[in-house]
Amino acid sequence: MRPPPLVRRVLRGLPPPARSVLLHARGDYAPWEVGFDFTPPALLAGERVGPPDFVGVGAQKGGTSWWFELILEHPGVYERAGIPKERHYLSQFCVEPFGPDQVATYHGWFPRTEGTVTGEWTPDYLSYPWVAPLLAEAAPDARILLLVRDPVERFRSGLTFRFRMGAPHTSASVADAVRQGFYARHLRRLLEYFPTEQVLVLQYEQCRADPSPELARTYAFLGLDPFEPEEIRREVNVSGGEKVPFDPEAAGRLADLYRADALELAHLVPSLDLALWPSIVGGVDRGDGGS
Amino acid sequence: MSSPARRVLDAVPHRVHRLLPSALRADLRHRTGLTVPGDLAYRPVPPPPAPGERTGPPDFAVLGAADAGSRWWLTLVADHPDVTPGHASPDAAHYFAPFCTEAFGPAEVAAFHAWFPRRPGRIIGFWSPDGLAHPWVPPLLARAAPRAQVLVLLRDPVERLLDGLVRTAEERPAHPGSYLSDAVDRGCYADQLERLAEWYPADQIQVLQYERCVADPVGSLARTYEFLGVDAGCRARPLDPPTAGSDRTGHRPDPATLDRLRELYAADVARLEDLVPGFDPALWPNFAPRP
Repeated sequence: MRPPPLVRRVLRGLPPPARSVLLHARGDYAPWEVGFDFTPPALLAGERVGPPDFVGVGAQKGGTSWWFELILEHPGVYERAGIPKERHYLSQFCVEPFGPDQVATYHGWFPRTEGTVTGEWTPDYLSYPWVAPLLAEAAPDARILLLVRDPVERFRSGLTFRFRMGAPHTSASVADAVRQGFYARHLRRLLEYFPTEQVLVLQYEQCRADPSPELARTYAFLGLDPFEPEEIRREVNVSGGEKVPFDPEAAGRLADLYRADALELAHLVPSLDLALWPSIVGGVDRGDGGS
Repeated sequence: MSSPARRVLDAVPHRVHRLLPSALRADLRHRTGLTVPGDLAYRPVPPPPAPGERTGPPDFAVLGAADAGSRWWLTLVADHPDVTPGHASPDAAHYFAPFCTEAFGPAEVAAFHAWFPRRPGRIIGFWSPDGLAHPWVPPLLARAAPRAQVLVLLRDPVERLLDGLVRTAEERPAHPGSYLSDAVDRGCYADQLERLAEWYPADQIQVLQYERCVADPVGSLARTYEFLGVDAGCRARPLDPPTAGSDRTGHRPDPATLDRLRELYAADVARLEDLVPGFDPALWPNFAPRP
């Protein structure tokens, strides 16, 4: 139940961790938090549930909300208002049992009507290595989507986002943001459980520069008829405001850390254009005269 | 560090601190400046060297893994008369925490060296439970202490994970998925050792198995002494029991979940056989070859 408008305004003014304490006190949890009620929503007339037809697994701050909304614009894709894009359901089962009951609950979060497809996009799944086998068990035929972005740029946006969401200003938060950018490592793990033809890796920079062909490719991959949205809407969930400070010398070091992984990704994903990732192909100004 | 506010805070019992969720505590630390090791804004000042001591790069570094007995091992190593004792300072341990995003130059190198005062003829070590898992640390350590001998303790990654989760059970992290992802990632040793090997030659790295150190502390310690270039005939007194390990009791996952965890690490453990001379998977209960 949403709090009244005045309460919402007060809550918005609080630091996120304090806001969470108050929301939790009234039983209000986000799907990624312990305490969220994963009882599936009741079915509406004409709906049935089942495994998702597609699951986006990343990357956080890689344009996934924008791309998910574009997918939802297709008339063949079913969307139920109130169900979040990011179900987060599989995140919980790292050291918890996962069996038929959990699979059924997961399916319960994907109502759809006859002749439509449905899915989710939980960017966190990418760097949770326990998710791939669970996903293969719960949705073996799902089409897997991954939207990647220059890992150094993604790191900075991701860390900014996490801090805004109330993540502690600790090295653990930084390490989490770093980890998400090792795309090839995470993709290799996915490909142990899903055949290559069931996985589509898109590049954010290509989607942004020329969205139409990438969207057509996405629809085709999802088995949907060709469709042109009236207008390809602009990006959503773009973090405005100042990003976390990031020294150029440190950015250069991070690029060095990512380079081998990005090259491996380019090998795994021939459509990836590394020239669009200046940090990887040597465009980061280190500020120290280094190479 | 010794401000009145800090002294008041330090006087508050640990249990009272824990009443607040970790994210809220971290947020308050960030806003008040009352930071602790691991916080990005934490800038401790090393104590001045005593008369007769000199500072400089550490002679050796014990880089985790966390919950794999590295602190215990450092304590034993530091029992040697040629090793500076009592040096597992959390202040120094988290020295590199901010430098994933901040510049690291000669001033930072000098500030790092100031943490390592030693008397003539004695060596001194750096201990960091995060040093292996946080990928930005090895290149910085290699810059600040290029000739350091690097020690790494590895432990059965499933046992390490479960033990670590028990240790941090009270944390109530705001984002449990990230927290679990970090915990799981710390057991992916092969990736970490490969990164370390980019910065230190093989003869400057000694990888030990925690289980072998527990089973044969005298022999293992002699090998470490030899590696560090101190008299290997010395024996630590007394050989205390490890502080990481089986004395913690906690939730033990069901057999199917344990199988999933073993499967999650299996490929990484298999790579260790190639990467680590003398590595014996039979010492790891979850990966011992089955008859």
